[in-house]
Amino acid sequence: MNCGRVRGLFGAYWDDEITQAEREWMDAHFASCTACREQYDAYARTLELVGSLPREEASAGFVDRVVSRARRAAEAPDRLPNPNPRWVPLAASVALGVLLFAAVIPWLRPASDHGRIASRATPVTTGVSARADLPSAAGPDAGPPAPSRRVTSESGASAAAVMSDSIFDHTEDVEFILDPVTTRRAHPRAAVSHTAAVQGERAVITF
Amino acid sequence: MARVAEDDERAFPELVRRFQGRVTNLVSRILNDRECADDLAQEVFVRVFVHRRNYRRGSKFSTWLFTIAANLAKNEIRRRVRKRNWFSLDALQEMVNDSAIQLADPTEGRESTMEREQLRDTIGRAIAAVPEKYRLSLVLRDIEGLAYEEIAQVLGIPGGTVRSRINRARGMLRRKLQPLLRREGPS
Repeated sequence: MNCGRVRGLFGAYWDDEITQAEREWMDAHFASCTACREQYDAYARTLELVGSLPREEASAGFVDRVVSRARRAAEAPDRLPNPNPRWVPLAASVALGVLLFAAVIPWLRPASDHGRIASRATPVTTGVSARADLPSAAGPDAGPPAPSRRVTSESGASAAAVMSDSIFDHTEDVEFILDPVTTRRAHPRAAVSHTAAVQGERAVITF
Repeated sequence: MARVAEDDERAFPELVRRFQGRVTNLVSRILNDRECADDLAQEVFVRVFVHRRNYRRGSKFSTWLFTIAANLAKNEIRRRVRKRNWFSLDALQEMVNDSAIQLADPTEGRESTMEREQLRDTIGRAIAAVPEKYRLSLVLRDIEGLAYEEIAQVLGIPGGTVRSRINRARGMLRRKLQPLLRREGPS
């Protein structure tokens, strides 16, 4: 006889949900198999212990407290704990709205701002040397340089501090002036000398 | 219950009086927390009253009542697990073992009140250490004595699943109470 099959029927045997033939079959097995008998004894003892627990009774005044609570809850059902508080979807909606607004606001800026940015990005005309702010490099026909602020190692930190507040304000734009440079025998040399005859270009990067 | 649904003033207290013991016992055995069980049992009846018009006539009232009680107990278990991890299996296993060791103390009288209290406490903790989904089936069957079909309705699961969960729960419980069973020997 299969011990595994008998042990699988312990529950049905305890609950008396097996046929008479199955019961006799299991009883015969228990008579000949000590291991299964002991296993079933432990199983039955466990359930007897569980069944021996005394019943917990409701505390004194239980009915009155329940009736009182039930009447209050019926008058104001919202006093019952709400498993889905209303503030959660509300807060989520507000957060979504703020994000959408932040995403859309650059597109709502007046067109004049874009124009101003574009005009600043225009390359400077000829006649300006590679270092337009150097008096010696300015040619006779060079126009006045556009208002600009060069970034140097000394002024970099302060410029960065200003930039953080200038997302929409371009009055504090930083202009980078790029000199064409070539390398000869590992020594960088200016591709152009700072003479009035040589022209350069200035690129303006706007943040 | 039909009278409660029709707003009969006297019917609801009578209903509570009739079922208060079963609901309190059920919730208390699932949670293994007597004080919290009283409060939760009250909440069960409050829900019954608030939703009295949702009760379907013809269906068994105790099944509906136990469904509400089981759901509230389940929520409470989950809330506790989230909050404080009270039902850590390892921690409870330790407590069960400690209690079993205390019970084996030969200086105590076998039938003393303290020993009986400890025995109940150990069994209660062992039940509480069974995972929630198995524990609900176990308590409904082996403490409340519900039929398998009724447990299936209360928990909203198939009858075969109920049987398998109860079998697994009983096996877990037997392993948890093994030290106690060895000490007590065959009855």
